Amino acid sequence: MSDAKAVADRLVKVKRLNALLTPVKDLRKSLVAQEAAARPTGVLYGMPVAVKDNICTLEFSTSCGSRILEGYRSPYDATAIAKLKAAGALIAGKTNCDEFAMGSSTEHSAYGRVIHPLDKARVPGGSSGGSAALVGAGAVPAALGSETGGSVRQPASFCGVVGIKPTYGRVSRYGLVAFGSSLDQIGVFGRSVHDAARVLSVISGRDARDATCEDRDPLRLPTVPESLQGFVIGLPREYFPPELDPAVRRACERAVRLMKEQGAAVREVSLPHTPYAVPTYYVIAPAEASSNLARYDGVRYGPRFNGSADLRALYRSTRGQGFGPEVRRRILVGTYVLSSGYYDAYYRRAQQMRALIAQDFRNVFDRGVDLLFTPTTPTPAFRAGEKLDDPIAMYLSDIFTVTANLAGLPAISIPIGRVKGLPIGGQLIGQAFLEDEMIEAAYALERSVPATDEA
Amino acid sequence: MSVTRDDVLRIAQLAELDVDEEALPELAEQMSRILDYVAQLSAVPANGTVKVFVPGPDAIRFRADEVNPAPLAVGPEELAPAFKEGFFVVPKLGQFE
Repeated sequence: MSDAKAVADRLVKVKRLNALLTPVKDLRKSLVAQEAAARPTGVLYGMPVAVKDNICTLEFSTSCGSRILEGYRSPYDATAIAKLKAAGALIAGKTNCDEFAMGSSTEHSAYGRVIHPLDKARVPGGSSGGSAALVGAGAVPAALGSETGGSVRQPASFCGVVGIKPTYGRVSRYGLVAFGSSLDQIGVFGRSVHDAARVLSVISGRDARDATCEDRDPLRLPTVPESLQGFVIGLPREYFPPELDPAVRRACERAVRLMKEQGAAVREVSLPHTPYAVPTYYVIAPAEASSNLARYDGVRYGPRFNGSADLRALYRSTRGQGFGPEVRRRILVGTYVLSSGYYDAYYRRAQQMRALIAQDFRNVFDRGVDLLFTPTTPTPAFRAGEKLDDPIAMYLSDIFTVTANLAGLPAISIPIGRVKGLPIGGQLIGQAFLEDEMIEAAYALERSVPATDEA
Repeated sequence: MSVTRDDVLRIAQLAELDVDEEALPELAEQMSRILDYVAQLSAVPANGTVKVFVPGPDAIRFRADEVNPAPLAVGPEELAPAFKEGFFVVPKLGQFE
């Protein structure tokens, strides 16, 4: 495909984006070594794949965009990384992200914000913003990200690339640094549906090291369908509210028309508990995060701050100084909703709501709908700083993506048009473990939609 | 629902997290807003009939109970700040009288 030096050169060219955390010198050296060791018979032989900084790799440090893991080297590869290497892919460095994947703009990184590849005043989305920006800028054909509430699809939509979040349990989480364990899943970015899908097929499948990974064969790549004849596509009315950005609405309407022209049957459906998805997510995700991030204490991983003789003082100062403001906020909210006296009012309610949201999807799919089509985000990429002071406004940019995470379903975002030069993404949500159907429909939509035309 | 300065301090203690004195008012205000926002979940019928949804496999698969080596690609001598004759070297923690 492309040789290691050319890959490194392309990554140097987009340095201004601050998307890559690996120093280019280290990367160049590693790429040459990896290329020499790669199996020429692998299905991804020579394909450079950039990796979000919360996925463990032997090659480079894994800091999760945080000071608390600055310089941390994992002693093992994540299963997804081991599978990529076995397929001959080259690990093309670690990408900048919101700290511990908490954020929707990649402004919450201890290593500075990532710049949108098409407009330097805007954010690339998040939390996998570095991966999205590198694919969007054409520096790599594919990249890994992670999803807890939309952290692959939302930046894919903002950067005009394809982003897939697989079914919960499709890809092993072994070596993915835990944030919200019942929601987390490794996802894939690609220039095209095909690039993303073939990387997904390589990293998917059973893994004895992750008990939440399903005992299934890797995803088999579907072929490009001749038409969408036989597909029933549902449009959930809650995803097209009156206040939806008019250009996003126009792009979605055009995409729907194109799917109909290819033979798809389209019907309006309802997912009535959608309005509660973001509040549900912002109870469950911080609660799980507060437990998962308890392990960063200045003793087991990374640097310690103000080494004190008193152990608890050491924990507190390390955590207080090592975590950034958004992570601190979420740990506090998560601790609060799990604390005595509040557990029933918040956490138990959120768990019940999660069940109702998952049931909404089952009801629609049980009535013969194959896939759902929605906008990926309510607006195109927003300006840097615009939502930094208002956590809830930031959280609401995930409003159309969190539902698939809560229900554990696969979803894909593909570029469906532009407004004033900024990409707009359309989302297909599939049924659990039917990624192949979802990818088939995405192929058909990708083929027909004028992705870089104004909507 | 309003989170007070003392609430933040109590929660921060539970979370083993130092918070700056000057950051407290803003943190209390932001936590209040977030908790007010998620409080709309009280619209869910508070009965026990809604079964909790857990994604992933229905049951945990057990592995064969065999001892297998899990070789580290990087040896302990490379990971530890100090390693001598097969042991990690740590600071002296205390002394017996």
